[in-house]
Amino acid sequence: MQNRFGFKDFVLLTVVLAVGLLVFLSMIQSDRGWDRLGDLQSKLDEVESRLASSGSGDLDDLRRELSELKTAIATRPININLGGVAAGGIEVSSDGGQAGGSDSGAATETGRDESWARAGVPVDWQEPWQFASEPSEVPGFRRGGEFTEVFGAQPARITPYLSTDVYGRRVIDRVVESLASYDPETLRLRGILADAWQFDPDGRWLRVHIDPKATFSDGVPVTSEDVRWTFMDFIKNPLIEAERSRATLDMIEDVKVIDEHSVEFVFNKSLFTNLDYSLGAYVLPKHFYSKFEPAQINQSTGLLLGSGPFRVENLDPDDQWSPGSDIVISRNERYWGEGSPPLASLRFKVITNSLAALVAYRNGEGDMLTPSSPQYAELRDDDAFAGDNAIYNWLNMRSGYSFIGWQCGPRGGPGGKLTPFHDERVRRGMTMSLDRDRMIRDIWEGIGVVATGPTSPTSPASSANVTPWPFDPEAADALFAEAGWVDANDDGVREYQLDDGVFPKGTDFEFEFTITASGETSERIVSYLKSQCLKNGIVCNPKLVDWSYYSEMLKSRNFDAMIMAWSASAPESDPRQIWHSSSILDQGDNFIQWGNQDADGFIDGGRNTLNFDERMAMWHGLHEVIHQGQPYTFLRVSPWIRFVKRDIGNVVTHKTGLEPQEFFRAAVPAPGN
Amino acid sequence: MLGYIVRRLFLMIPTLIGITFLVFMLLAMSPGGIGASLRVSGGQMESSKAALVEAYLEDRYGLDDPVLMQYLRWLGRISPIKTGERDQVKPTGELVRPPKALKSPPLADSWFRDFKLPEGRAAEIEATKGPAAAGTGVGREGETAEVIEYKAAAKNYAKARADYLVSKKNLDKALVRYAEKSGIEGAIKDGKPQMGVFAALPPDTEAPNWNLVRDAGLAVLEAYETAVACRAREIAAFRNGPYPKDGVPVLPGVLSLAMPDLGVAFSRGRPVKDLILDALPVTLLLNFVALPFIYLIAIPAGMLAARYRGSWFDMSSGAIFVAFWSIPTVWAGVLAIGYLADNQYLGWFPVAGLHGNTADEMGFLPSWGSDGFSMGWVGDVFWHIALPVTCLVYTGFAVLAKQTRAAMLDNFNQDYVRTAKAKGVPGRDVLLRHVFRNSLLPLITMFVTIFPAMLAGSVVVEKIFSIPGMGSLILEAINLRDRELILANTFMIAVVNLLALLLADILYAFADPRISYD
Repeated sequence: MQNRFGFKDFVLLTVVLAVGLLVFLSMIQSDRGWDRLGDLQSKLDEVESRLASSGSGDLDDLRRELSELKTAIATRPININLGGVAAGGIEVSSDGGQAGGSDSGAATETGRDESWARAGVPVDWQEPWQFASEPSEVPGFRRGGEFTEVFGAQPARITPYLSTDVYGRRVIDRVVESLASYDPETLRLRGILADAWQFDPDGRWLRVHIDPKATFSDGVPVTSEDVRWTFMDFIKNPLIEAERSRATLDMIEDVKVIDEHSVEFVFNKSLFTNLDYSLGAYVLPKHFYSKFEPAQINQSTGLLLGSGPFRVENLDPDDQWSPGSDIVISRNERYWGEGSPPLASLRFKVITNSLAALVAYRNGEGDMLTPSSPQYAELRDDDAFAGDNAIYNWLNMRSGYSFIGWQCGPRGGPGGKLTPFHDERVRRGMTMSLDRDRMIRDIWEGIGVVATGPTSPTSPASSANVTPWPFDPEAADALFAEAGWVDANDDGVREYQLDDGVFPKGTDFEFEFTITASGETSERIVSYLKSQCLKNGIVCNPKLVDWSYYSEMLKSRNFDAMIMAWSASAPESDPRQIWHSSSILDQGDNFIQWGNQDADGFIDGGRNTLNFDERMAMWHGLHEVIHQGQPYTFLRVSPWIRFVKRDIGNVVTHKTGLEPQEFFRAAVPAPGN
Repeated sequence: MLGYIVRRLFLMIPTLIGITFLVFMLLAMSPGGIGASLRVSGGQMESSKAALVEAYLEDRYGLDDPVLMQYLRWLGRISPIKTGERDQVKPTGELVRPPKALKSPPLADSWFRDFKLPEGRAAEIEATKGPAAAGTGVGREGETAEVIEYKAAAKNYAKARADYLVSKKNLDKALVRYAEKSGIEGAIKDGKPQMGVFAALPPDTEAPNWNLVRDAGLAVLEAYETAVACRAREIAAFRNGPYPKDGVPVLPGVLSLAMPDLGVAFSRGRPVKDLILDALPVTLLLNFVALPFIYLIAIPAGMLAARYRGSWFDMSSGAIFVAFWSIPTVWAGVLAIGYLADNQYLGWFPVAGLHGNTADEMGFLPSWGSDGFSMGWVGDVFWHIALPVTCLVYTGFAVLAKQTRAAMLDNFNQDYVRTAKAKGVPGRDVLLRHVFRNSLLPLITMFVTIFPAMLAGSVVVEKIFSIPGMGSLILEAINLRDRELILANTFMIAVVNLLALLLADILYAFADPRISYD
């Protein structure tokens, strides 16, 4: 009989396989150890070479700093005296360079070197950027430790300008700095890398002086050439796939190097956004990014080096961070600015399932979480939860708003049929027949406040004079009747009663309401709107569609009413795209086709007004016109909601959001935080 | 046999084309169409800028071409048999192709027929065809003159092409204003001018916005001529052969063989190959851990159930497996997270992901050190995938066990089994050598269908446990209507599916000598 494969053979085979597997695994183990050794070796080499080559340079730096200190001590009384004046200069001049002559005189008196500046235009000197809230003054302060934030979606990449998602940007913001950014308290532009600038009163050029102290995290100084290179050779390089930034910054004609620390931007049109956009763009180190071919940058996922308070440790292009693993950035120990972050590192962990995210957070795998609305609603009153976790809910400049958009023009574009909402009274009636407070309470778990207009209430562009239209079904009834919609035949539905031929007499008040099919919230909205319309004698036909259908629908303007939300990223945005009548025809986002002369006037005026206060007056005017016209029924401003572990100290809710470089990890829970 | 296999392999080609074409057309006809995500994410950008970004992206990914054209282009890239000029490979691995053709400028044959380039401009453009101007900043140390010239020419052409796009957008804008003033019916659709309508009408040179249109139109033509010249220069630079050629020639200049190119996923801006290489090992790991469990438990259980048919074991294993099978994975996954992973309850397992925060500092293998037991990197991974694997495993028992049991029972009742028993063959031999071997056919069929399912990953499990595997990747690709990613995944799954079916047919021949393909 032939040899049979018996039990003994099986055991033998299993043992052999197991031994083989173990050998294989230990080979990987030693390989891994070898790699780590190699990493360490290369790091050591780097440190060594840096010490060898730049040792004298560092000494020179020290000497220079020492002499600067000496002069600073010598001129101290003057400095203190004029500090206030200089600060005043900032306030006036971030109004868009509309400062009086006296300011420039004051600035020169401070003895600051203004040889780089153009004559005759005042210079905005900037106070050095510091913590908005000083962590070391908070009880329990400690340096060191890691802070983990749970992200709800996977950032595709963290290479600056190529990353297009909000999570990627949150990481990049910690590592790369721009010339200026919004002050967390005042929301005015304040210099970071720039210590001064002058902006042409006609908005055609901008001269920026870079803080000579500024260095990238690898120790190389930030120079004007880096700025020029970033704009002209990186963003404007047609081979780099940074189309979005290229389009946003297309008003930059040229960036000229004036001297080692100053550059001049030349603009091809004069717009208020010139200042924000050019100062707000990340400054990249030329010496690092120019090493790579455009294709390498385009396909990179984690090439991230900048001058910010944190840095990415692994910059090896063959072994960069890629989606699927946590993002870890560590404190930049050579940070040039004031306010080195207390935390040793930040970790960003992606958990896409919201239940899993909450459990992981509660298990201690994360220190900060953006909960889903139901999670927030469930835990906000839970005392046991509140013991270990701080719960935040606040409005900031990034708070977007949701709205119902009414089709004000002919549906489907020119030549289409008008909807009942072409009449401003009907739109106002619709707004007044919707109880938005109740909607927030019942639909959005009570999170948020009623929106009044197109900007976040924290923004200076939002007018304080506007209060939401009240919930008043009787007034709404009167408005509908005034517009000709009355239920004459008592069938429960209003009909058109006027003979003006806009609608055939006797047309029922009926409209289609488009909404994305996205679960419970949409269902609640639909059922509320439908019942509320029924009570008012209006037939609302809901149409649930896929989100990808929306863009087509908006472009063809083929809807009666729809619900959507806008997000915000800056205190002030250009309203032209959404509200100007010229954005009706050319594929703009004025998909509700609302054309209003007054609004156009405010928009055109505001866009060309460089003076901050004057421009704000224009935006306030626009806000009021939109409020009157109600092309949108503004529903709610969505706040930021966060759960943060109590042992994270100095978490302050700023108007710009959160500033993790201020956080610290307390050894014991910080009281009252 | 060999002839059969070859024949089957060749038959796969039309099947693959059919499958991918079907999926592609479904994608193209879905609301939003191809690349819907690209268009949506424009956000609150100024309309002219948003339109420009869209134009740039459409141009880069060829989204403005007819749907069929897009499919054929994809097919050309994926095919290992290439026609025409061979691609070249940069040292970074990037493929370099001859530059794409330019679309002819709008209204050039009607309204701007008499257009001539201004004096001297033609010569200027001609000059760009010459050798590379030094100091363009594209060259690097150690690069040959051909490479530098090619890079300069490519950058130049990219710039010219972008300028041409911008000028076309400007013309669009001017035409919109012109049509608005002149009130031409149907000339503007969805904010875009319909060139056919304009071309059919004579230009109204008296119209208030005519000057705008004329200037924009002339600018388009000039940008076009420049781009054509720059393209010619790039082609010349490309023909000089700056980089080594890709693939191997079959008929020089006509046919060549090269690796299929899966393209770049436009929702993430990364090569599809990289994305798949990131996701595939994760899914394979899950499945390679899960599959042995399923097979090692379900098949013996099915055999025992058949052997002791009607016993308590048969009944209870059947009941338990069917009960498992009917628990939805979504629910089980959520319960597992909520109870097994939540520290408020049991907290035995991690919640999400594949590695703990400290995984990088761990040793590789489990070890006992001075500070007690460390489970090491490998242990950490297994600990993390315990729950997802459980979710993948428990639903798999029922079908396999029942199949095994049914097949075994069929054979138990056969004459040869009775004969074997009568001959006095030991019971174990009857079970394993006679019955089981003859019951293999349905199991083989089941076994091969597992492979494609493994590749696709388990969408639900990956979603619940935040595991970045193939399931998540495919789901996202579908949501974002990412042409390259969907097609590549479809293609891959289809190939594996077809190969698996072929493998099944071959295995049949081994398992059952009666089956022969000769």
